Amino acid sequence: MSKIKYFFEQSWLLITASFCFGLLIAIANAAWSPRIEANRIRKLKNAMQSLLPQAAAFEQQDTLNIKTTKGDTFESSLFKGLSDANDCIGWAFQCQGPGFQDKIELVVAVDENFEAFRGFSVLFSNETPEFGDKIKLPEWRSQFSGAPAEELQLVKTGPMDSIDSEIVAISGATVSSAAVVKLLNNCVQQVKNEMIHKGLIRNGN
Amino acid sequence: MATEAQLQSSRYTQTFIAGLWRENPVFRLLLGMCPTLAVTAAVKPALTMGCSVIFVLLCSNIVVSLMRNLLKPHLRILMFALTISTFVTIVDLFLKAFVPDMSEALGPYVPLIIVNCIIICRAEACASKNGLTISIIDAIGMGLGFTLTLCVLAAVREVMATGTVFEISVMPGWFVPWTAMSMPVGAFITLGLLLGLVNIISKKT
Amino acid sequence: MDTLTTLLLGFISIVIINNLVLTKFLGICPYLGVSGRIDMAFGMGLAVTFVVTLSGTLTWLIDHLILMNPSLAYLHLEVTRYVCFILVIAGAVQLVEMYIRKFFPSLYESFGIFLPLITTNCAILGLCLFINLWGIDSFPQAVVLSFGAGIGFTMAICIMAGIRENLTFADVPESLQGAPITLITAGLLTLAFMGFAGMIKG
Repeated sequence: MSKIKYFFEQSWLLITASFCFGLLIAIANAAWSPRIEANRIRKLKNAMQSLLPQAAAFEQQDTLNIKTTKGDTFESSLFKGLSDANDCIGWAFQCQGPGFQDKIELVVAVDENFEAFRGFSVLFSNETPEFGDKIKLPEWRSQFSGAPAEELQLVKTGPMDSIDSEIVAISGATVSSAAVVKLLNNCVQQVKNEMIHKGLIRNGN
Repeated sequence: MATEAQLQSSRYTQTFIAGLWRENPVFRLLLGMCPTLAVTAAVKPALTMGCSVIFVLLCSNIVVSLMRNLLKPHLRILMFALTISTFVTIVDLFLKAFVPDMSEALGPYVPLIIVNCIIICRAEACASKNGLTISIIDAIGMGLGFTLTLCVLAAVREVMATGTVFEISVMPGWFVPWTAMSMPVGAFITLGLLLGLVNIISKKT
Repeated sequence: MDTLTTLLLGFISIVIINNLVLTKFLGICPYLGVSGRIDMAFGMGLAVTFVVTLSGTLTWLIDHLILMNPSLAYLHLEVTRYVCFILVIAGAVQLVEMYIRKFFPSLYESFGIFLPLITTNCAILGLCLFINLWGIDSFPQAVVLSFGAGIGFTMAICIMAGIRENLTFADVPESLQGAPITLITAGLLTLAFMGFAGMIKG
């Protein structure tokens, strides 16, 4: 009994403090987590708007489970871009995959028949500054606008302004460039199959 | 009575100024090096980090000073760790909610404020031994000293690396940016040279 | 075989390419303070390796079994992540301190204040957070990365100690003696290690 008393005597401050601090953290979390979630959604919407500028609104169509090349699955939200007249003018979805040292998270936009890319935006990446970081540059990303929505190939040199399924790697950042191409190939294929399966786009397009 | 009040207020001023120059946490006490090197690539993240540290330092000094007579010696470090980590969690949630782009830029270095030697050392050396007012002034002084140091270092690095300060361009057109400044190399070397400069200045005065 | 390759590559990456001290700015305070002599540096490195391996694995376990447990998701326990991590680290350091004091008293004497100071070593909390940030899913990988981080720290601090021991014979200007020249040396070391970047593909 005295041992338990000794224990409480020594640690009552620690226990009380833990409770008070826990309460404080819980209050802060409850107060601010809706805002944090809203920030995340706003960032996604801004990225999608920049890729599909003619879209007046985005409607969340579905949530798909995509497998990355590393073997784990992530949830990708599929958005339909709607024009003023409520026509579908494109699709946008999230892609994820391993990069040079950390993961790369993209939001990819394709046209309404899933035939060509409209481009992508980097949501999260932690690549080497000034080298792998160049995957965020519009000059490099413009290679993807209009490229066919099939298997893309990475080449070391070539004309950057020719729009086809050959993507020129960033000099000095081959690994990051290859990572982006690989994750696009991996995710786009799965999303396309899922969408055909759910009848959202027609097969054979 | 008048002289005692004067003594009191001069002691406050002394404590405050100590944190800014004579006992500047980074340049003289050599504490808190990790965030100093990591977030000073640009002025905006440096300022955000500085303000967060001021907040955590203030709150933790207040709490520790209020608790100072109840602390058991061998549980001291645990209590400090608990207090500081609570306030850092709150700051982290705040940053994620209200300044999400800065929160992303700072990344894992926000929770690393917990092990920022400045906060634990001030809690140990000052707050656990002094009254509330002295602890508050000490916290503000040290925090301001830290923030100013970070901003100076960040300004040097940002101007040399991208020619901007706080994202406003200040260098003329012919300036060739020195990208190495935004990488770890630039961080270490700039801090080393600045420390040497501070040593020269303090020798002369 | 595949997992073995992943583990080996992960180990090499965190020791050389993503070295915590030279690329992620963690553990600078003891790095500047203890790198005066090689024997002290090596001792500190070993102590840190032990603590970081222990903390890394414990925090990974707590993270995956409790904080991110889907069945406890409604409690939103992830917000208490930082508090849990630092308490685990502080506890681990206390344990190491008691162990060394009991079995290696002479070593304990020579360490002095530095042993409890390992709690505030950014490298340890930093590594636990990085393991969480990088989404490490497998337990062996977490163990290997923690151990590798400690080895990387030891390597960086021993290299620095070797250089500093030689620097005492060099003609360093008075204002640069001590911390400034150490920082400049560290910067040059970082530059050297940058050459390893990209060594491992994907």
